[in-house]
Amino acid sequence: MSGTHRDGEHDGRHHEGVKPRAEADYYAGRIRAIEELLVEKGVLTKEDVRRQIEYLDARSPANGARMVARAWVDPEYKTLLLSDTKAAAAELGIDASGPVEFVTVENTPEVHNLIVCTLCSCYPRAILGRPPDWYKSFNYRSRAVVEPRAVMKEFGLEIPENVRVAVHDSSADVRYMVLPIRPPGTKGMNEEELTGLITRDALIGVSAPLAPVRTG
Amino acid sequence: MTRFEPGVHVRVRSDEKPGHVRTPDYVKGKTGRIEGIQGAFKNPESLAYGGSGLPELPLYKVGFRQMDLWEGYAGLADDALYIDLYEHWLEPAQKEAR
Amino acid sequence: MTRIHDLGGSPDAGPIDKDQHEVQDWEKLADAVTVILDKKGVKTTDEHRRAIESLEGEQYKELGYYERWIAATELLLVEKDILTREEIDEKAVELEESWR
Repeated sequence: MSGTHRDGEHDGRHHEGVKPRAEADYYAGRIRAIEELLVEKGVLTKEDVRRQIEYLDARSPANGARMVARAWVDPEYKTLLLSDTKAAAAELGIDASGPVEFVTVENTPEVHNLIVCTLCSCYPRAILGRPPDWYKSFNYRSRAVVEPRAVMKEFGLEIPENVRVAVHDSSADVRYMVLPIRPPGTKGMNEEELTGLITRDALIGVSAPLAPVRTG
Repeated sequence: MTRFEPGVHVRVRSDEKPGHVRTPDYVKGKTGRIEGIQGAFKNPESLAYGGSGLPELPLYKVGFRQMDLWEGYAGLADDALYIDLYEHWLEPAQKEAR
Repeated sequence: MTRIHDLGGSPDAGPIDKDQHEVQDWEKLADAVTVILDKKGVKTTDEHRRAIESLEGEQYKELGYYERWIAATELLLVEKDILTREEIDEKAVELEESWR
């Protein structure tokens, strides 16, 4: 179901992800026609399509959250994550194999990392699945490199004056993920509980992980 | 067999090369430092037009001071930008060059 | 002159819209077809990007993310003589009529 929300006030362009019905239907029609023809000509099969959709649907930020949570509790795994992210994913049963490389960048008390792809929208899809619409937006791609602090502030994250910001533009064959700092007050939490604190936005760098919920 | 070692300063070529390139304009002509070597990969400028992309080119992670990239940058003096650039876009540079 | 897709530091950028639309079936299909064609060696990611970047000016700005992918896929399939535009036109009409 397609909405018709327009984002005209901001920059005169449509909201990146949602189009007026007619245009969306035109392109939907094109790709369906292309698929049918490619199947008829034996270039691909419907099963290929089904499997590929299933592959990407199965990937989500939960994968990244599991990797980060494991790194928080297991120093050896953290070392692996930072030196060979693909292998670290594989160790948790996450298949990120393929020609693209993955690198995890670590947040520390001295540096906060932010990921962007200014030229298109490269994203660690094989681990995290599809990127959010805002990550693909022209405004994010334009501003993340030149005013990262202002961008993060729009997501509610204010980086202190004594912490430097490092922006990574995924311009080539490497995809990036952030290893956020483990929030304070989480010492008693187990790995699964920690996973729940790690959001997709924290893995991109626009947000911090969630704070633990106090009980009692 | 890479041309640049981590730690050396490099300048990004200013070429206005037509067609598909993975070097954005905002780093062209700027001086940064080699942070590391990401490996060797096929040349996207060739692959984009059906070429083989061979020989593979070293891909470098290059770090820049944001202050050197943007006039009036509103952040810390040691805020940085990192980007992965192919070897043929880089030249040796002096540290002080801008 | 900076090309349309080369957006880093682009001066007229505004606030970031955090709305998230639900991925549509046709978008998942566009994604899947692109990736499969890559895996089968029909086209590369680099050709795909080049094709998207060739959508000059208004078309690049006005099309949504997956629409650009579909435009690029069509461009490349035609360029490589795998399909013709006419075939795609006819098939699109045929499929639309079969829904009525």
